[in-house]
Amino acid sequence: MNRYECAYEDRVTSTVLSGRWPDAADEELTMHAATCELCGEVAMVASLLRSDHDQARREVQVPVAGQVWWRSAVRARLESAQAATRPMTWLHGVTAAITIGIMLAGIGLAWPSIAEGAGWAREVVDPLVSHAAVSGVVSGVLRQSVLIGLAAAACLVIAPLVVYFALAND
Amino acid sequence: MRDLTLTDMERLGAFDEAERTFLMTEEAFRVFYELTARPVRSYLGRMTGDDRLADDLFQETYYKFLRATVRFESDDHRRHYLFRIATNLVRDHRRRPRHEVPGGEAMHDTVPSPAETHTADRAAQRIDLGRALDHLKPRERSMLWLAYAQGWSHEEIATALGVKTASLKAMLHRARHRLADVLKHPGGRS
Repeated sequence: MNRYECAYEDRVTSTVLSGRWPDAADEELTMHAATCELCGEVAMVASLLRSDHDQARREVQVPVAGQVWWRSAVRARLESAQAATRPMTWLHGVTAAITIGIMLAGIGLAWPSIAEGAGWAREVVDPLVSHAAVSGVVSGVLRQSVLIGLAAAACLVIAPLVVYFALAND
Repeated sequence: MRDLTLTDMERLGAFDEAERTFLMTEEAFRVFYELTARPVRSYLGRMTGDDRLADDLFQETYYKFLRATVRFESDDHRRHYLFRIATNLVRDHRRRPRHEVPGGEAMHDTVPSPAETHTADRAAQRIDLGRALDHLKPRERSMLWLAYAQGWSHEEIATALGVKTASLKAMLHRARHRLADVLKHPGGRS
């Protein structure tokens, strides 16, 4: 026997739970509980909690079963509807990200033609303006093309992340 | 995303659909509910100390129970599972940041007129018990309630609270000793 247990503990507990404590309990049991600290605590705590429980059960107001069922059914339907729209929202997001990616890739692929067009324009414009001024503009554009390429690559990575965070709250 | 609301027709549809969504029929639920509603509501009332919160968690408990996909082996298993949901909901609520502190308001509501002396004494006793329970940890409160108010066995409590049966006896002893101590010395030991 350790300090957590007493041979009478279960008897005390069942007597309290059956509503026989203390008046209809065995005299031996009540005398024991008066001297045993552990059983005394069991009797006190169990009596209080049991009587509190009995009173609470009498006084407590609960909705009728149909009402709880009905509310749960409506909520389940609402959650199902929300869950059904979620993949569509994701699909829109992914489509937007892919479209942005394709556009940027298209610009990247077409860039040589654009640069070529710029060269042709330079040939056309060259006689019209001073050579130094035009070559400065064209070389500036070509330098910027590297930056644009990097920006396009960054957008390809960032766009899906932006879409993800934008839709995360949904 | 747009906010979804249900039309009256959809609500009616939800009622029919519920039989397919939930693993339980409405009739079976009704029987189970009649047996468990009052114990669950009393349990939530004591665990939260707040009637309004207990009402909210009560509906939530049954909703989660109905949405569960568990195949129950027996009525006891079903009942333990229901109390486990209730226990977890109370615990989750406590972990959330609080905007308002529920006081003993709910219990004060039950205090009867001063003329009814006996009833008033019992109400005062309930308030004392409520305050004493507030000194315990949520798990201690749950295990004491299930053991001495509901009269559950150690195995049943262990199942419902997700603790080992072997350690429950010692845990219950400690909780009971703490509650007895608070009840004997309401203002604390000096």
